[in-house]
This record gives sequence, C-alpha cells and structure tokens, in this order.
Amino acid sequence: MRTEVPARSVAAPLGVTAGLFAVLVGLAVWQLQQQTGGFAWSSWWPDLGGASVSAADLALALGWWPRLITALIAGAGLALAGVLMQQVLRNPLASPTTLGVAGGANLALMAATLFAPALMGWGAEWVALAGGGLAMGLVFLLSWRRGLAPLVVVLAGLVVNLYLGALAMALLLFNQETLQGLLIWGAGSLAQDGWHDAAFLLPRLAIALVIAWLLLRPLRLLELDDASGRALGVNLAFLRLAALGLAVFLTAVTVSVVGLIGFIGLAAPNIARLLGAHRLASRVVWSMLIGALLLAVTDLSLQHLAAWLPTMIPTGAMTAALGAPLLLWLIPRLRLSSRTPPETMTSGWPRAERPARRLLVMALLMPLVVAVSLLSGHLADGWSWVSGAWTVWEWRLPRLLAAAGAGLLLAVAGTLLQRLSGNPMASPEVLGISGGVSIFLLLGIVWMPAASTSMLAALGVGGALAALALLIVLNRRSGFLPERLLLTGVAIMALAEAVRALVLAGSDPRGQQIVAWLSGSTYYVGLEQALLIVALAGVALVVALLLSRWLEIFPLGAAVSRAVGVRVTGGRLAVLVLAAVMTAAATLVIGPLSFIGLLAPHMARLLGLSRARDHLLGAALIGMGLMVLADWIGRQILFPHEIPAGLVASLIGGTYFLWALRRF
Amino acid sequence: MRSSPTGRRRWRWPLAVWLLPLLMAALSVRAADTAPRIATLDWTVAETLIAIDARLVGLAQLDGYASWVARPAVPGAVRDLGLRAQPNLEQLAAIAPDRIALSPLFANLEGRLSTVAPVEVFELYGPGVDTWPALRRVTRELGEYAHRQGQAEALIRRTEDRLEEIADRLPDKPPAVIVVQFMDERHVRVFGKNGLYHAVLERLGIDNGWTGATNRWGFALVGLEALAGLDGRIVVVKPYPVGVERALSKSAFWQRLTHGANRDPLELEPVWSFGGLPSAGRFAEQLLGAFNAD
Repeated sequence: MRTEVPARSVAAPLGVTAGLFAVLVGLAVWQLQQQTGGFAWSSWWPDLGGASVSAADLALALGWWPRLITALIAGAGLALAGVLMQQVLRNPLASPTTLGVAGGANLALMAATLFAPALMGWGAEWVALAGGGLAMGLVFLLSWRRGLAPLVVVLAGLVVNLYLGALAMALLLFNQETLQGLLIWGAGSLAQDGWHDAAFLLPRLAIALVIAWLLLRPLRLLELDDASGRALGVNLAFLRLAALGLAVFLTAVTVSVVGLIGFIGLAAPNIARLLGAHRLASRVVWSMLIGALLLAVTDLSLQHLAAWLPTMIPTGAMTAALGAPLLLWLIPRLRLSSRTPPETMTSGWPRAERPARRLLVMALLMPLVVAVSLLSGHLADGWSWVSGAWTVWEWRLPRLLAAAGAGLLLAVAGTLLQRLSGNPMASPEVLGISGGVSIFLLLGIVWMPAASTSMLAALGVGGALAALALLIVLNRRSGFLPERLLLTGVAIMALAEAVRALVLAGSDPRGQQIVAWLSGSTYYVGLEQALLIVALAGVALVVALLLSRWLEIFPLGAAVSRAVGVRVTGGRLAVLVLAAVMTAAATLVIGPLSFIGLLAPHMARLLGLSRARDHLLGAALIGMGLMVLADWIGRQILFPHEIPAGLVASLIGGTYFLWALRRF
Repeated sequence: MRSSPTGRRRWRWPLAVWLLPLLMAALSVRAADTAPRIATLDWTVAETLIAIDARLVGLAQLDGYASWVARPAVPGAVRDLGLRAQPNLEQLAAIAPDRIALSPLFANLEGRLSTVAPVEVFELYGPGVDTWPALRRVTRELGEYAHRQGQAEALIRRTEDRLEEIADRLPDKPPAVIVVQFMDERHVRVFGKNGLYHAVLERLGIDNGWTGATNRWGFALVGLEALAGLDGRIVVVKPYPVGVERALSKSAFWQRLTHGANRDPLELEPVWSFGGLPSAGRFAEQLLGAFNAD
C-alpha cells in the first residue's frame, strides 16, 4: 500500500495534465497555422520591431499570444485561490465564486463606475479587492455560528451572491447603457490588446505563490482539528486570516483584469483531489497546472467558435456553464452530512406562550397593509392618500393580489424546505426551481424575439419541471437527503447565473426587458392571472397545512421520523414536489429573485411560532404582507419609474438578514 | 400658486403681455389640431415623431433619451412614463393617450398596454431588412399614424436631399470606414449590415469596412483584435465608457492599429445607433464634419 499510493497520486494527475496539454498544443498549432498559413516559427511569433508590420502579425503578437499566456496565468491564479480557500475552510466546495468574492467584486466595480468613476481610473483591482473581501466577510459572518460547516458556508455564499446580485440588478435596471462594458467584464472575456495584463498578473501570482509556499507547512495542520493545531503552537486565527486574505487578493487581482471567470477555482482543486493528489503541496501544484490548462483550452475552443457567431461567447460564463454539471457530478462524491449538526432548527428559538393570539394580531394587520397599497400612492398629478376611483384601482388591484399570492407561495415553500432540511438557510431560490425557470425564460427571450407573455409563461413552467426532474433524478438514490438537494439547487443556480451573464454580455438592446423580469415585478400580471395565483396560493396553503404532522417530525431527523412511523423518502418527495410547484407559480409572477421564501419562515420562527401549523400560517401572513409592501414601496419611491417588487423585497430581506446574523 | 411672493407678482403683467400672442398662436394651432395624442416607449419612434411634429404626450425614460438620443429634443409637455420595459401604467392611464406606438422590442407589453389605448407596433430593424427603405416606410407609417403625412414626406425628402449634398461634398474617393462604439477598452460594437450606420454609408457611397456577420440590430460585439487586418478608417461613435480613453492611450494594440498616415480614428459625437431618419441625418452630418476637420 505505502508504495502504491504516492505512485498513483503522481501518475493520474500527470496523465490528465499531459492530456490537457496535448489538446492545448494541438488547438494552438491549428489556430497558428490557420492565421499564418504555414508552420514557420518566425511568422508564428512575429517581430514587431520591423518597418512593415501586417495587421495579422499585430493581431497575433498583441492579441492571440498575450491572450493565451494571460489565460494560463489567470487559470493558475484562480486555482491557487481555490486550493487555499478549500484548505482553510476544510470545505471542498469553497471557491472564489461560491464564497461570494466574485459577486462582491462585480457589485463594487458597478457602483464605482456609476458613483465614483475616479476610483476606476485609480485602480480597479483595489475596488474589486474591497468588494470581494467584504462579500466573503459577510459569508463568514453568516456561517460563523455553525462553525463554518461546509454546507452552511456554501448556502451562505449563495444567499450573499443572490443579495449582491439583486443590488447589481437594481443598478443595471436604471443604467443599462452605462454599465454595458461591465456586463462583458462580468461574463469574463479574455480578449487582450497587449502584454500589460500578463505583465500585471505574473509578478503578483509569483509573490502569492511564494507566500503560499511559506504557509504550506502550517496550513497542513488545519487538516487536524483545532485543538491539536493549537497544541503544536500555531496561531490558527492568524494563519486562516493570512491564507484567506491571500486567496481574496489573488481572486481580486485576477478578476479585475480578465473579468469573472467562474468555477476554475472550484473545479481545478477538486479534479486534482479526485485524481489522487492528496498532500497539500501536490494539490497546489496539480491544481494550478490543471486550472491553467482548463482555462486556456476552453478559451482557445471558444475563439474557434467565435468566428462563426455574430456575438461573442465570453470565456468566464462558459467555464461557469461547464462547471455546473461538474458540480452536480461532484456532489455525490462528497461526504458532507456528517459535519452539519441540525441543532439550529430545534433549539435556540423563542417559543410563544399563545401563538394563536400572535397570528390573530398579524391577520388583523393585513387589512391595513392592503388598504395602504390600494388607496395611497402617486398619481400623475401628485401624491394622494385616498383615491377611490376604479380607474386607479384597476391598475393596483391585480398587482396587490399577485404580490400577496406570490408572497404567500414563496413563504410557505420556504417554510416547507426549512422544515424539511432542518436548515434555516434553505429557501426556494436555493432549491434551483427559480433557476430552472430563469434559464428557460432567458433563452426564450433571446431566441424568440417577439414571444408573447403566455408563451413565456409556458416556457417558465417547462423550466420549473426540468429543474424538478433534475432534482428528483439526482437525489432519488440518496433518499432526498436535504443537504444533497440544496447543493443540487446551488448548481442549477450557478448555471442560471452563467446563462444570465452570457445573455447580458451579448449587448442586446432587449437587455432591459430581461433585467426587468429577472428582478421580479408584478408588472405583467393581469386581473385573471392574479386571481389564479391567489386561488393557487390558497389551495397550496391548505395542502401544506395537511402535511403539518410530517413537518413537525422531519426536523428531528430521519431516524426519529422512522421510529414514529413516517415514510421518510416518500414524505420528503411529496414536500419537495409541493414546494417546487409553489415556487414555479410564484417565480412566473414575481421573477426568480426575492428573499421572501427565506425571510418569512425565519421571521415567523423569531416570533415564537414553532409548531408546524403556526409556523406555516405565520410565514404565510408575513410573506403576503412583506410582498405587498415591497410592491407598493417599489412603485412609489422613484415614480414614475418602478422598482420591481422582487428587488425591493430582496433589499429588505438582505438587510434583515444582516440584522438577524446573531441567530444563525 | 395663490401664495406666490410679491416679488414674483411684479413680473406677472409684463410676462403675460409678452406671452399672450405666443399663447394665442399656440392655442389656435392646438384648437385646430385633431391629430391623435401619442405615447411611445421606443426612442426611435419618439425621435421620428418629434421630428415630424406629432402630438407626443408620453415617452419612457426621458433622461435616457436625453443622454443617448439627445436630438431632436423632447418638447416640454411630454410626460415621463418610467422605464421602457415597464412603463408606469397608472401614469399612462392618467395621460390617456389616443394611441400607443411600440417597437417589436416591447411587443410583449401589447396586451397590457392595449387596455389603455390601441397599440400599434412599428418594425424597423430585423434580419434581412433593407434598412433605408424600411426607414422610409416607418417614417411614412408614423406620418399617417400621427396625421402628419406632409411632415413625414418632408422629413424623408429633407434627409435624402441632405445626404446627397453630403455625398457630393465628401472627398472624391472616400476611404472605407469601420464604425465602432466602445463597450470597454477591449470590446466594441462594430456596425455592419442591417444597421442604421451601414444604410447611411451606402447612401453616401462609402464602403463599410466591416463585412462580417451582425445581429438583428446591425452590429456585432467583438474584441478589438477583430479589427486588425480590416481595410478602412476607424470611426468611433462616442461616448467612451469610463476610463476607456486612458486605457486606450496605453494599449499597445490600439496604438499600433491606429498608427500611421490617415489611420488615427475619427471621433463622432453621440448618435443613437438604432435610430430613425433624424439619427441617420445626424450621423451623416457628423461624418462629413469629421472628414472635413481631418
């Protein structure tokens, strides 16, 4: 055994790396031959010092070659960042994308472009660094109480990504034209116009590598538990901070130059590990090689394709799209469940003496919310507190109903999922149903330029069903283990984000329509659809209430459930399908974003509604009220411009999240 | 109004005397004007309507129009409808236009908006559309739609005559041009077949250096390297995004690409790239100006 293990751990990564390298060289030679029409090195590496330089030489020397080299450096850098994060957090799913660093950098750059353009000239990489660092800090704050358990970190990362994405959407909705360039950046294009990027990246990667090498020995101790590490005299906090800081620095430097490149930081280290590189040092080496080659090969292949298409396909979004299936494949190979204690759902929450009275108070508050949203608001000639004319109600009533229905659906779906998984961070967004809907709708909007609303709705239902089918197929074998389900959702969401980046980067004039739908508005709902949604919401609530016995028992774990005679797999599937249908209906109305499904169940718990029936009813009331209010606020503050309800709800929800951090 | 300060009251009479003839003239025109009151979401439709003096009452995203289309300027009485993708329905209903004009871009709103007023969709850009005849057709259609046939014909004639004049005044053998707009320092929209600029270039007898594929709006999003090896003078339509001018001054590729006799790029003030006849005319004027200044 002893002699075999190291032998394998070198042979397998070596083989894969050599294979990738061969593909890279093959593609490169092919492209060089096509561009220069021959096999002469002198024409492959043109000398720009001469008097007459042809345009083709120029494109080769200042475009093609720097692009190849930059891709290699960027890939290596992101892979190194991924290894460091995974090592420090003992989490195979940690990466610049999953920890929110990329999303934070994106938002920071957008905000700087709009509000402080001088900063962008001074140093975009520092803006990206600040944004990325803050976002990762937020993820840690969210998952701190649960000991940075891998699944919790990934979920917190997803939530932070969604929140920052909502903010970015708000900026985008009103400044589409100005931010067009950043959309390309956000999709990660590696196009080059000289050697300055490679020259910028290389020394920084070298420095980071030296520091990483110095940290290597102490970092290995992190594989032990904390107590043994401390016993060996290592300052663990400092070590973690230094390694994570280094990883964030690498990510920020790389993305500020080449844009958001998804999943290389996640994929490369995991491939290396699965190929048998177990020791940290060998993981660093192989990950960097594999990351560099993966990115360069993807990029060269896309350059081949680009010649045939009127729009470019940015490399970063493409790696993200390829990374999603990889993540799906990876999930069953991870051992996760043993590390997540399901304690938060059963302890530490307040418990109301008389929950019925609290529910009654909430129910009595509803008419107030409804009245404000129906009666008050901006009219064309000014603010009016009470306007009773049908000509005004005609527009407000469908939106009020749609918001209430969608809010209820999301809140109940969120409650179902949180009770099913025993995880307070589970929500419909996390399940990936809304991701499936948005993938289908985005592609529909792009490929069918004059699609009607009902066609889009049909597409949306198709997307929800596809996502649900994927969830069921991939999770049947594990008996719908909650952790697996949520991770499948994370992967679908990642794919949805990649599709979004691709579509938006295409600089399509329809961008605003896409952004408007993505940010979730009740705008497109007519009265009949609104009534339909409300009816659906009512039925779903009743069905959910009928399931409340199961929901009482599921949080206690599979063993307890079986002991009291509940069929766990069947029960989980039923709850899952119900939640998925509810999410799909709500997503069609209100778009894929909104934290209502996360927020409402959570607030209901905080109000002491701990029994499943009370929890469901409380969350439903809160969800309705919040969504109606969000819709109303969004229509008032920038009148006549409307901020979509989903965005307002996300912003309120995200803020509440930060306030409620101590709960997690 | 009742509590207006005395300082202002002093101005009332002179102002009224001065304004009265103007007001009367306006009223006499308006009173006779039975043309439909039109609201639109589309900036291209809007610029054409304004150019033919139609009764435009509502337009989406006025501030966006002001910074991306700019001219012809929006008359003061036009109300803002909010975002183009989500015009404010309450506002729209309060304005109560007689007709709503859309482009296929917002055709999915047709059902919603038709509860306020009849909706008509005007299609200008699309795959395989011959742009100049389409510009003429849409202008005529809008003229009829707005009861401004005469003005529409005049706009077509005026623009085409002016373009001919410009073609005569251009250098004898104008070089081919490559029209681009920067998205960031390494990516441009390059305009070709199916697009407004291409149609104008054709009428001016100037070759378009970009012969590659374009999307349904007549542009392709490409990296700068795609411009190498193309034959033609680069024409940059401003504005440059934040920081791009500075980055370009440091870009080895851009410096080489635009280095040499008659290779430095021509710069044009912002023009709406997906516009109608007014934008076409402005683009031609600016191109002539840039060639003359060169």
